[in-house]
Amino acid sequence: MTLKECYAAMEGDYEEALSRLRSERLMKKFVLKFLDDPSYELLCTSVGAKDGKEAFRAAHTIKGICQNLSLTRLYQSSNVLAEALRAGWNEEARPLIDEVEKDYRQTTEAIRVLKASEDGGNQ
Amino acid sequence: MAAAAEKQKLLIVDDSEMNRSILADMLGDEYEIIEAENGVQAVTVIQKYGTEISLVLLDIVMPEMDGFEVLSVMNQRRWIEDIPVIMISAERRSSRVEQAYALGVTDFISRPFDAVIVHRRVVNTILLYAKQKKLVGLVEEQIYEKERQSNVMIDILSHIVESRNGESGLHVLHIHTLTELMLEHLVRMTDKYVLSRSEIALISTASALHDIGKMAIPEEILNKPGRLTDEEFAIMKTHTIHGAAMIQDSPVHQDDPLVRMVYCICRWHHERYDGRGYPDGLKGDEIPICAQIVALADVYDALTSERVYKKAFSHEKAVEMILNGECGVFNPLLMSCLKEMAGTIQEELRQTGAVRMQKQEMRHVVGEMLNHDELSASERTLMLLEHERMKYSFFASLSKEIQFEYTVSPPMVTLSAWSADQLELPEVVMDPMHDKRVLSRIEADDVSELTDVLHRATIENPRVEYDCQLLLGGEKRWMNIICQVIWSGDELQQYTGIIGKAVDISEMRVKMDTLQQMAQHDGLTGLFNRTYAKQWVKDSLKRRMESQFAMAILDLDFFKHANDHYGHLFGDRVLMYVADQLRHSIRSGDIAARIGGDEFLIFLEYSAQGADIRAIIQRIYNSIKGTYEEFPVSISMGIATTECAGSSYKELFSAADKALYAAKEAGRGRYCFYDDIREKEEEQS
Repeated sequence: MTLKECYAAMEGDYEEALSRLRSERLMKKFVLKFLDDPSYELLCTSVGAKDGKEAFRAAHTIKGICQNLSLTRLYQSSNVLAEALRAGWNEEARPLIDEVEKDYRQTTEAIRVLKASEDGGNQ
Repeated sequence: MAAAAEKQKLLIVDDSEMNRSILADMLGDEYEIIEAENGVQAVTVIQKYGTEISLVLLDIVMPEMDGFEVLSVMNQRRWIEDIPVIMISAERRSSRVEQAYALGVTDFISRPFDAVIVHRRVVNTILLYAKQKKLVGLVEEQIYEKERQSNVMIDILSHIVESRNGESGLHVLHIHTLTELMLEHLVRMTDKYVLSRSEIALISTASALHDIGKMAIPEEILNKPGRLTDEEFAIMKTHTIHGAAMIQDSPVHQDDPLVRMVYCICRWHHERYDGRGYPDGLKGDEIPICAQIVALADVYDALTSERVYKKAFSHEKAVEMILNGECGVFNPLLMSCLKEMAGTIQEELRQTGAVRMQKQEMRHVVGEMLNHDELSASERTLMLLEHERMKYSFFASLSKEIQFEYTVSPPMVTLSAWSADQLELPEVVMDPMHDKRVLSRIEADDVSELTDVLHRATIENPRVEYDCQLLLGGEKRWMNIICQVIWSGDELQQYTGIIGKAVDISEMRVKMDTLQQMAQHDGLTGLFNRTYAKQWVKDSLKRRMESQFAMAILDLDFFKHANDHYGHLFGDRVLMYVADQLRHSIRSGDIAARIGGDEFLIFLEYSAQGADIRAIIQRIYNSIKGTYEEFPVSISMGIATTECAGSSYKELFSAADKALYAAKEAGRGRYCFYDDIREKEEEQS
């Protein structure tokens, strides 16, 4: 799988990211790194604890990273969630969290496929 | 690798590791990147590296301390003046952007990052700051040099006038200082004359030339020891006109504010408020305020100085003469200004020389500091050290604390000047642990105990505190001694000495004791008050292991009758009587408190299963009821126990209150256990 195909699977904007970051090597490095980013985990635990402040911060961080990497789909849902949580915890955020979860799955699954083909290709 | 050491340091602050590494990758080739994942770490890094950091990239939303908080710390510590900050933000709300700019942010980088833009912004900001620093230094240096030169010229010129006059070399300096002081005071006193700081400085500088016209007066008249004849005096008076003419005829600088100011002062510094001065007989505020002030300063200094024709008057006499109108009439506002300042003028004049020197020196230092990239590190360090030393001695002189420093090798204690004075010891004492004078200021027991405490200090916990008495000015005072043990900075980490201070806490100790008494007790009965009782109960319940507690609330029945029929004083005595009975009937570990007008609370501990608490309550109840001076003391009481009512203050109190209510309902003059009524409640429901 190429990075471009991966972006298509994630519903991200490959061209836009490349025009800003200027290097496919860097882009790939960061996209792969996204799997290790702890923000999503933080989002899940703080949602479990109904900690609005931490949940906001986690959503805000995910949004920031996605924005930088042009992971458009996940950016959009995390952006909506962050805005909903800005004022603190509220139950209306629930469906938005489900959205983020769905998009996060889609994104990380695509990255894992990319990673697998990378690792395979290197051997 | 050598090049790497010279890279400029760049601090990236962002809680997301991803975001930090994206930025680091964009910039890492040219800069040494330091990363921080929250505001607290950022502040620690800046604290450590100071201006070695060329730029900070700062995120807004972060845990621990957010970007705005970092900015306000940077403002407080004035780092923002030397270290540029670029904010990383997706914030589009203009209020936040404005807030960031107001806090000194230089630029914004918005997400998503564009590699070229990030790079360009960082490079530009660093260059801009470096250039600005250099320029500020240059400008400062030039202004300083220019001002210094013109001050030198004015000093020379006025010295020539003076030496011809036979006046002391201090006259011009005094006029300058007096003018400045009076103007500053006047501006604080009234808003009638609007004068900025720079205008005040201008007038003060111009004042130096007020007598320049005396150059045109023949020396015989100028220095005549006796009284001047009328003709001679008429000639003498023309020095005002001559001075003004010299200034006016000068071919250059006619539009310069300083020149115009000098003209006014030369011409009109002998005018008087009532119009009886010379040369033009101006009246009231027709006389420019600069000339009015210089006139007053001139008169004051003339009176307090010795002249060929007179001795010097004392400060008090001079002020009295001026206020009495013996030297002509001045602006009443200036008179009240002089009156208000009379107490301090002398002292200020005496300090003038030294202070002004210091001020100029300071300016020079500041100028050089701003130029600091041209200085070598060691020179800068010395300058900073000197600055620190000045700051330290200033604060030490204000603090009214004993401040000391002890070094192990050689064994020596150094005291601040004020401290040495208080302790009646020299500022430096060698081998203090064997010095009789030192050992007579502090008890031997305290010396050995303080030594023990100090030996327990560690590198992690270098600070110790110890309270003891010291002999100050022949009197024993309670002092709170705070010391910091110092270890050498090298690998050996040897104990090298102590710095410390001692604060007089004698008064505080007395005050604390009374305050504590007042805060805990009810003024009338001496029992604990409600606030304290509540705290006590809460603390006891928190510590509770296996023991049980009972809380009783009691109320005097018909107490209103006692007040109504026998008066409030009698009522108070009844309350005191009940308080006394309570005090005597409870055991030493229990407490009794007055929690309202005629409401009391008892809180007691009992260990075994509920059996004996009823006996204890019975005994207390019996000991309180009775008569006081024929007034029947009847009480209603409600009791709640932790066994039954719960173990928080709130639960106990509300249960005891319910029981008290039940006792009243049942006809007063009895007590009731919540345990009993609760059973009834449960039966009913």
